[in-house]
Amino acid sequence: MREKKKSSSSTSPCAHLRAAYNNCFNRWYSEKFVKGQWEKEECVSDWQKYRACLSEHLEDKHLSRFLEAEGLVGSINQDKLENPADIADTGASQ
Amino acid sequence: MVKAYSQEYVYKHPWDRVTSASWRKFADPENKRVLSHILEVDTLSRKLDPTGKLYTTRAITVHAPGPWFVSKIVGQDICHCVESTVVDVQSRSMQLTTRNISLQKFIEVEEKIRYDPHPDNPTGWTICQQETRIRIKPLSALASMAEKVEQKCAEKFVQNSAKGREVMERICKYLEAESSGLAL
Repeated sequence: MREKKKSSSSTSPCAHLRAAYNNCFNRWYSEKFVKGQWEKEECVSDWQKYRACLSEHLEDKHLSRFLEAEGLVGSINQDKLENPADIADTGASQ
Repeated sequence: MVKAYSQEYVYKHPWDRVTSASWRKFADPENKRVLSHILEVDTLSRKLDPTGKLYTTRAITVHAPGPWFVSKIVGQDICHCVESTVVDVQSRSMQLTTRNISLQKFIEVEEKIRYDPHPDNPTGWTICQQETRIRIKPLSALASMAEKVEQKCAEKFVQNSAKGREVMERICKYLEAESSGLAL
């Protein structure tokens, strides 16, 4: 159980980067996004730094697996939007 | 056995502010004391589509100690959850779905929260609808006491959602003060 507790804070080396990104995102969300200026994504460099740290420190199997799976799900969804026929074919062949 | 219940709550704040507060709820360090069951929250992915939909996945680590007889079987009191959020800024809706991804052989918990402008006062108030489903896996070691565990679990959820609302109200007030400060 002690080990589990330790792993729960496995991403704490990223705490500063996380805080910087969260601050940036929260500001963007309440000052721009909800006011209709959503075309431009901001906080990109903060996000990249935080994400790089996460992929290095996310020790927990459950979560890192999810981090990878999440990327796949995203790209599948995009394919689906771009070419729905391909997905229908894949579905039928499975 | 499935235990399901729903809750509704009205925030007397506009949707913009309430959803901003929702993002800050776990991120602001001053809430850590009240929301002490939340150990860690990390953003795993975030995507913005051209129509104004924002998709977010976060990992949430929860400290969820059960009654002693449960802890003894389960062997750990940390649970990992994944929260998926879709904010559609054009239709003014925010939907969050949270599921546990660890301890799944014992229990499945799914929590859905929606924030929409209140029909009676769409520009001033926000309605929050929350649905929670708790299911003990039928063949797990907890199955024989499923009903009891589900009940305990539900009670805990109700307590924690009350804490969550308290924090949300405080952040909304803070954001309100901040925005009126900016307006001056």
